[in-house]
Amino acid sequence: MFSTLPHTFREHGLQADVRTLLLLRKSLERGLVRTLGDLYLVLKGLVTNDPKDYGPFSEAFYAYFLTIDFQPGEKLEQAIQRSRVYQEWLEREDLLDEETDEDLVDRFLNEIHMSSYDIQQMLDGEAIFREDNPDLADTDDIPDEQGMADTDDSPIQQGADYSNMSLEELLERMRQIAEQQKTQHRGGSHWIGQGGMSPYGHGGAAAGGIRLGGPGGGKMARKVIGDRQYYPVDRKMPLQDDNIDVALSFLKGIEEESAQSILDIPETVREGVRQGGLFLPVQKDKKEQKLQAILMVDNGGRSMTPYVRMILKLFSKMKRRFAHDLKTYYFHNTIYGGAYTDPARRNFEPIDKILANAKDYQVFVIGDADMAPYELSQSSIAQWQSIHARFPRAVWLNPLRERYWEYAFTVSIIKSFFPMYPLTVGGLEKAVLYLNSKKV
Amino acid sequence: MALTSLWTGSENYLCDAELAQAFHMARVLGMPLLIEGEPGTGKTELPLQYAKEQGLELFVFPVGSKSTVEQFVANFDHVRYLRDSQVEVLNAQREEKGLEPLSSSGRMTENLDDYVQLGPGAKAYLKPHSVLLIDEIDKAPREFPNDLLYALSHRAFILPESGRTIEVSETDMPAVVITSNREQELPTAFKGRCIYHYIRFPEPATMRQIIAKHFTKLEPQLLDRCLDLFYQLREMGLERAPSTRELLNWIKYLQAFSPEEAQSRIQERSGMGVLVKTQKDMEKVLRLYGK
Repeated sequence: MFSTLPHTFREHGLQADVRTLLLLRKSLERGLVRTLGDLYLVLKGLVTNDPKDYGPFSEAFYAYFLTIDFQPGEKLEQAIQRSRVYQEWLEREDLLDEETDEDLVDRFLNEIHMSSYDIQQMLDGEAIFREDNPDLADTDDIPDEQGMADTDDSPIQQGADYSNMSLEELLERMRQIAEQQKTQHRGGSHWIGQGGMSPYGHGGAAAGGIRLGGPGGGKMARKVIGDRQYYPVDRKMPLQDDNIDVALSFLKGIEEESAQSILDIPETVREGVRQGGLFLPVQKDKKEQKLQAILMVDNGGRSMTPYVRMILKLFSKMKRRFAHDLKTYYFHNTIYGGAYTDPARRNFEPIDKILANAKDYQVFVIGDADMAPYELSQSSIAQWQSIHARFPRAVWLNPLRERYWEYAFTVSIIKSFFPMYPLTVGGLEKAVLYLNSKKV
Repeated sequence: MALTSLWTGSENYLCDAELAQAFHMARVLGMPLLIEGEPGTGKTELPLQYAKEQGLELFVFPVGSKSTVEQFVANFDHVRYLRDSQVEVLNAQREEKGLEPLSSSGRMTENLDDYVQLGPGAKAYLKPHSVLLIDEIDKAPREFPNDLLYALSHRAFILPESGRTIEVSETDMPAVVITSNREQELPTAFKGRCIYHYIRFPEPATMRQIIAKHFTKLEPQLLDRCLDLFYQLREMGLERAPSTRELLNWIKYLQAFSPEEAQSRIQERSGMGVLVKTQKDMEKVLRLYGK
């Protein structure tokens, strides 16, 4: 069953393979995984490669280990409240009257994300608390069920300690849980309930630990998970202010290198010594990075208005950070003999001049390509074709949702000869891969 | 592997829980820890403070736009090698004429290892339980991280000129920390060999703890004012939002005055140059807060 883990991660657009499993096994053997919270952190370290991965990672983790599935665009809280694991957890918990739904979700998340480090912190806090307030510790309602930190019964021993478990055992355990989940609704509660997470949640250490806090006390999992960074970024969503930086990181992938020849001194010397003192110059390539891009934006018509600002923001960021040469042209719907160099479309530049740019420019055309069929004239099509022919690395980014493309006649015409990708984070990623695969 | 006990920061460095765990995990697994995050959030400080507090030897490789793996692992001194090989010929002639031979300081041209100068990477691998920092790897040319891959996954460097291999066992593996400001994307294969951690900007509560580590006696009211203004500035959408480092510098500056005077300095927005780094931002701040 664990073998499907990399698959689940890959489905969420993350990098995972057999090596991930091997490293996970190693982590288990070395005692890094004692709780579900630890498992989350260990896998996060192994699988994620970028802050933008945190969202998909949390999603995949919840889906795999807790069978919490996310509907597109759904908030974390809603997905949790809808899930069976949460419902069962609710049934088992002693609910306090004053707790709101939000508090409950917080508590739930805290239990899931409790790591052995947190437990350690709480035990430390408990010790300090006792020293400071000996009376309070005995008389107050802090349950004296176990002699916490200082005996073998301390919560960390009682709790689900997976460190002594082999990968196979853990695997078996997961399988059993999954089976029970199908047959009856005691479900994922094993991980949280009988699995021994509960002692941390209420009663045991947590009652004392979390409430009193202690130095650096238990961290609020909600703060971690609810953070926008961790919140699932839907890669199919159109570009927005939220994911513009993610998009930018993909665009960075198109930086290219140019090479020029210089004298290779070490090699010259080495050869000279080998030749007995006869020195012949040896050349080598010196690499440099550069990026030249032409941006053609459809800024006419209401259909494009929402996107233009975003696109210009994206590319101006790109220019500031790493593009050395960025030319921007504007047009309305399609090009007729040329395009404009200013947003108000006054300075016309004929197509010949655009085509006169060096052919190693990367061209991004951004437009919905959706217009009345008569607007896309034969000569206009020919001009797009000449741009595509001149610049091998040219792509069309379309803000229109991909599923509508086939219904727009003009989109399908342009798409038939111009490589077209949706203007989404995922689409940009694909476009960059395509551009990199083209040699000039 | 490097020393594997959990390390949670020192007297003047607050290592947040998640970072501490990621670092711990990296050491236990003998993998490098790749830290990304905004500038000024203490990425570089982690290995420095760790090495200092644990009394471990630290090797630093500051990456620049021209860094190569040769500089990181080992450099072969071609010029000296050339000189010595010429000196050998010369010495044969001098001997015929009965002159004193020129010295090569004991270096032998047959022994290529004599001409190898080890870089921080090789030195760290030779010293068990050391700490190795590769700082700002995003500044490096694109091939640099790729060239490092072999060394990281096989725990071995090969010196091509002399054919020598520097290997380190998993038990002796140095704690490797790599930092990046995300100025360019690192190759996926490279990231896959690392434990990844992104430092999030500290919450006000954490920031208090960080400040407490640096300034033991600070007026609570003054601290409140500072933090208020600091987080306001961060939310203003400045071109270059102030970071932890800048806040600490600012407080250091305010410490030079009596509490009352410091308060009035905040009021007058003097010394804001420590926090606000571009002219445009400064204009925006002054416009919003008046003078």
